[in-house]
Amino acid sequence: MNLTKRSLFTGMLAAGIAAGGVVPAFAQQRVEIQFWHAMSGVLGERVDEIVKRFNDSQTKYAVVATNKGNYDEVINATIAAYRAKKAPQIVQIYERGFMAMLLSGAIVPVQDLMTEKKKQVDFSDFIKPVASYYQYKGKLMSMPFNSSTPILFYNKEQFEKAGFSGPADTWAEFEKQLYAIKSKGAAECGSSLAGDYFWSLMENYSTVNDQPWGTKSNGYDGLDTEFVYNKTRLVQQVTRLQKWVNDGIIQIAGQGLSPQQLFTSGKCATYFASTAAHGGIEREPSIKWSATYLPHEADLTARNSSIGGATLWVMKGHKSEEYDGVAAFLEFLAKPDLQVWWHEVTGYVPISNTAYQMAKSAGYYKDHPTREIAILQLNRGTPTPNSQGFHFGNYTQATFALREEMESVFANKKTPQQGLDDAVRRGNELLRQFEKLNAGKY
Amino acid sequence: MPAPAGSTRGLKRAHFREARLPLLLLLPQLLVLLLFFFIPALRALSQSFVLTDPFGNSVQFVWFDNFRRLLASPEYRASIGVTFWFTLAQNALTIVVSLVLAFATDRILRGRGFYRSIILLPYAIAPVIAGILWAFLFNTAVGPISFVLHGLGIDWDPNRHGIDAFLLVTFAASWKHICYDYIFLIAALLSVPPSLLEAAAVDGAGPLLRFVRISLPMIGPTIFFLAVMNFVYGFFETFAIVDAVTHGGPGGATMILVYKVYIDGFVHIDLGSSAAQSVLMMIFALVLTVLQFRYVERNVNYDV
Repeated sequence: MNLTKRSLFTGMLAAGIAAGGVVPAFAQQRVEIQFWHAMSGVLGERVDEIVKRFNDSQTKYAVVATNKGNYDEVINATIAAYRAKKAPQIVQIYERGFMAMLLSGAIVPVQDLMTEKKKQVDFSDFIKPVASYYQYKGKLMSMPFNSSTPILFYNKEQFEKAGFSGPADTWAEFEKQLYAIKSKGAAECGSSLAGDYFWSLMENYSTVNDQPWGTKSNGYDGLDTEFVYNKTRLVQQVTRLQKWVNDGIIQIAGQGLSPQQLFTSGKCATYFASTAAHGGIEREPSIKWSATYLPHEADLTARNSSIGGATLWVMKGHKSEEYDGVAAFLEFLAKPDLQVWWHEVTGYVPISNTAYQMAKSAGYYKDHPTREIAILQLNRGTPTPNSQGFHFGNYTQATFALREEMESVFANKKTPQQGLDDAVRRGNELLRQFEKLNAGKY
Repeated sequence: MPAPAGSTRGLKRAHFREARLPLLLLLPQLLVLLLFFFIPALRALSQSFVLTDPFGNSVQFVWFDNFRRLLASPEYRASIGVTFWFTLAQNALTIVVSLVLAFATDRILRGRGFYRSIILLPYAIAPVIAGILWAFLFNTAVGPISFVLHGLGIDWDPNRHGIDAFLLVTFAASWKHICYDYIFLIAALLSVPPSLLEAAAVDGAGPLLRFVRISLPMIGPTIFFLAVMNFVYGFFETFAIVDAVTHGGPGGATMILVYKVYIDGFVHIDLGSSAAQSVLMMIFALVLTVLQFRYVERNVNYDV
């Protein structure tokens, strides 16, 4: 009996040693940090590069980066893992998930963690639109990582062919240009409707033109916020979009086709998209393109646009030594030289002023002028309660409802006013539900 | 003399003298049902009465609020309508097309196996792939079939027109399921006694008449079985196709109930509402199946 026990033990030991031989030696001494993200393709490779650099830079911690699908899938995987008490230490969550994460009771505020672990991060150095989006009671809740903002990409040759030097500043003039481009045959369609148009052409229309999206400073001042975008100039914008769709000025790519292809193949003359689309568009040399600011209404002053993208959240319930590693990794990420590199290889904006100045003084924007548009647009003017960001609960669901209503508008099943009214009604129900669940927490 | 009902009961008793053996034989199936049906169903039922945040840190018991919210929502009612028409259209299309195919290949002598293999192929294709395939073929901007339709002056645009998207999903779902129905129908047709058909042929009935008057009534039970199966398929298993082709859009035109359960539960993590929806779906499915058996089955003749 004793003998068999011992042989079993030695057997297990042998198996352990054998397995240890396969795993890289460092994994045994190092503290492992799980990092789930939503960056696929080239972006995913860049994340792996960052992680490798960090792991090579020290010997105490090993960050393991895993792509868990798109943003929706990452937040859902995180929730499932949290419920099973197997959450990773770091997760990348999109800006729409801010309130859900903030009030989840499942996170450690990043600024608190960094202060506790005595890490040197200059939190006042983050650019304003980024900091204001992810702050709660004056503190950053998550680590800014990949931030973008929509800009207007356009086909230079097609604009010249129609007799324009470039897109106009105002929506009214820009609209005339798109109609001219189509009627003169310079391009088959004026614009390709990106999948995230609700962000680039609706939310950012509201921030640039200082129109409220919801009451209580877009939700910053309380959970009892209500959507009001059906009573603003957005109605005019949606009316315009509906007209464009009906006149074939703007093309909806639909399932199985990427909207960006419609632009890069030269079929459509413009494309409203995230500045992070730079990475992809630059790799398609078939068209001569440039980019510029989003248009604004002629009678309104253009202000800052709003950010999109994601930040890194730290999950609760891990060991202190693991949090040491998390803090070290986040400190590493916030370093300006890494920020500059990330900005240049991906197209995301540099998230700190120092990183921006570094890229600028190195002459990066002389060779890549369109890369600077996003940050200039984000920093334009003084942010107002309407342009600092969006703090709405259940916001993914509310956005889904808005998109569904917009589809009915594009199909002429509803007028722009009806569609927006219905979206607001559905959105407000979701806000009330969120308020009920989180009463007293914000 | 018709066999009295008592004699069949006597037969069963003769085969199973004690209660233990049948229970033992049933056990594996009961266990599977318990694990994969009863426990999840009970959990769904208990979930449907609470409002919970995604992370599960705050849970409120809300009685029937989730159900009330659903039934009051125009979107949910629209989804019921879409599901009804979708299931009906898909069912009719699938059965009619597979009947025609079965009828046609039944009469083919040369290369019969070849035709059958081709017709069976779609069943081997994953629903997502099938969905993408259809979405691409009918894509407004680049799809070859859209190109033809536009050439014919048809304003085809599933990205905008709900009816186009609905047709597209219905076609894709039926196409995927025709093979299933076909296998059953061809087998049923083979079991129609040739003597009857030959007798009818001698009496001068053509192939079509023989099919309608003899084969069709004889394969009635199979058709009824397939109608139930198609209904279950349309109700629960077309999720992947909708996900790949339309995502439930445009404007909810293809938002069938099962896809809405998924969106609300797994994308938006509104577990209370999603659970309430699955409970309602279970009820709908039960009621419809019972209705089918009560009213449709009455007209099916099992005795021929």
